[in-house]
Amino acid sequence: MHKQRFMMKITAAILLIFIAMYIHITNGTFDMSIKDVITTLLRINPNDDFDLVIFQFRLPRIVIAALVGLGLGIAGTVIQGITRNGLADPGILGINAGAGTSIVVFMFLLQMQLVASGSSNWVSILIMPLFGFVGGLVAAIVIYSFSWRNGKLDTQRLILTGIAISSGFGALSMFISLKMRESDFEMATVWMTGSIYNANWIFIVAMLPWLLILIPIIYRKAYLLDYLQLEEASVKSLGIEIEKEKSILLLCSIGVISACVAVSGSISFIGLMAPHIARQLVGIQHRYVIPMSAAVGMLLVIFSDYIAKTVFAPAEIPVGIIVAILGVPYFLYLLVKSKA
Amino acid sequence: MVTSVIRAKQLTAGYEKVTVFSDLNTTIKEGKITTIIGPNGCGKSTLLKTIGRILKQQSGNVFLQEQDMKTISTKEIAKQLALLSQNPEAPLQLKVEELISYGRFPHRKNVGTLSNKDIEVIEWAMDITKTTAFRDREIAQLSGGQRQKVWLAMALAQETSILLLDEPTTYLDLAHQLEVLKIVERLNKEHHCTIIMVLHDINHAARFSHEIIAMKDGEIITVGTPKEILEKGTLKQVFNIDARIMIDPDNGAPVCFGYDTFLEQELGEK
Repeated sequence: MHKQRFMMKITAAILLIFIAMYIHITNGTFDMSIKDVITTLLRINPNDDFDLVIFQFRLPRIVIAALVGLGLGIAGTVIQGITRNGLADPGILGINAGAGTSIVVFMFLLQMQLVASGSSNWVSILIMPLFGFVGGLVAAIVIYSFSWRNGKLDTQRLILTGIAISSGFGALSMFISLKMRESDFEMATVWMTGSIYNANWIFIVAMLPWLLILIPIIYRKAYLLDYLQLEEASVKSLGIEIEKEKSILLLCSIGVISACVAVSGSISFIGLMAPHIARQLVGIQHRYVIPMSAAVGMLLVIFSDYIAKTVFAPAEIPVGIIVAILGVPYFLYLLVKSKA
Repeated sequence: MVTSVIRAKQLTAGYEKVTVFSDLNTTIKEGKITTIIGPNGCGKSTLLKTIGRILKQQSGNVFLQEQDMKTISTKEIAKQLALLSQNPEAPLQLKVEELISYGRFPHRKNVGTLSNKDIEVIEWAMDITKTTAFRDREIAQLSGGQRQKVWLAMALAQETSILLLDEPTTYLDLAHQLEVLKIVERLNKEHHCTIIMVLHDINHAARFSHEIIAMKDGEIITVGTPKEILEKGTLKQVFNIDARIMIDPDNGAPVCFGYDTFLEQELGEK
């Protein structure tokens, strides 16, 4: 893959993202022309109706879809890279579920109190990713300690424990959410399936610092993921501190995933699909795969969210379900292909 | 005087709860080809991996140029010592030249671009291993022999004075086995590389080594020149074979040209 061809492809992907955003922002319960959108964004003859639709509903939703897609795409690439397993995905590894459970607990215990005590809602939203991170970290530590053998990370065990942990945490989330008040329960279940239709700017403010700090670290270490594709003895022989580098990359990914899960719930399959599609487009070098996977992830989530809001309009389907409908066949396709 | 480049002191190593060898002491001489031989499971690969810090020892020390390897950073070690493992793996879509360039990792400062020196060394490594012709191919398109030479080239790109090879000729046909060993011999002669390798074929060990370490059941039975090791008594003790030895008139190396096992005799006696 040459740099020029990569630049061409990534430019095309970004263009597609803008097209998807355009379709998403102009279509909905009431359609707007692109002229309306631009004049509203540029504050030319502001109109209260347009302002409300764009700034309160559609724009935050699109921005969140883009950020979540970006984060999950990148985290998925890293996790597939360090496990050297193309079928690994943050969801399969139980990190989503760990972060999710922790946030359900948070909703159950704290948010009701905060609401009751009258303190404004945004404090709790801002600390939600932190809770997600703690849960994701707990899940990761459990998975790590079970798959840590003989001073190294056993990748097969990592995936197996991940699956077990994932269903364990899933059950726990379900159990806790059943104890909730009815209104909280509904909110929690919708959130758990992965939805972003109640998006607002505070969510974005809450997740942005995580992405802004962690993604540059991941990108700087991206080249190491290329080396990590060799078998362990060769990697060590090159003088790479394999466990340390893997841990840094994994921790950064957990942070990114937690921030995404905190705002959107558990959207699975993006972390699986985006890296695969990206590798087919730009080859195997991670300095190209990571940005491409981020772009593909953004595109997938924005597109899925558009379907989620329009297909059964005015009823909304959680975007996570649309992604899963797209993702399951893709996963099966990958399995069949890897057999052949 | 020949100095030691690598010295193992009371080295104990193994996997999980199994100890493969304990309290092992050995010294590797600088600028020589040393081959470790022994029956399956004797600990020869484990010894090589422990010396190459791929496997962490359970106790004891390995000294590199008389400095304890625990006190040297792994990247610093990688500038002095390269190890070619037994079953190296790389993504099949990876280009040959790209894989070889990975060998430059310990020397690279900025990750983005290769320096002129890096490119020079990569060219040299491809030249000496005769892999230049397929530099643009993907790993998937190579035969087993070509792949092994590419991996050797990657280890050479590390530009180290010590090279550890774990059964470099396994799975190769006769001609490729010899080709790989001749490259190794040339590296030793022309570039004064210290070579430590594990081989299964005792005739190859005899022909290409200055010194042979014979191991059995996690112990070093004896160390010596090929002529000292390829000898009836030693081969019986190490491999439990009744060997017939002669000297190759072409290169003066001892050759085991036929052997019988003692197993049947022992069974007969019982």
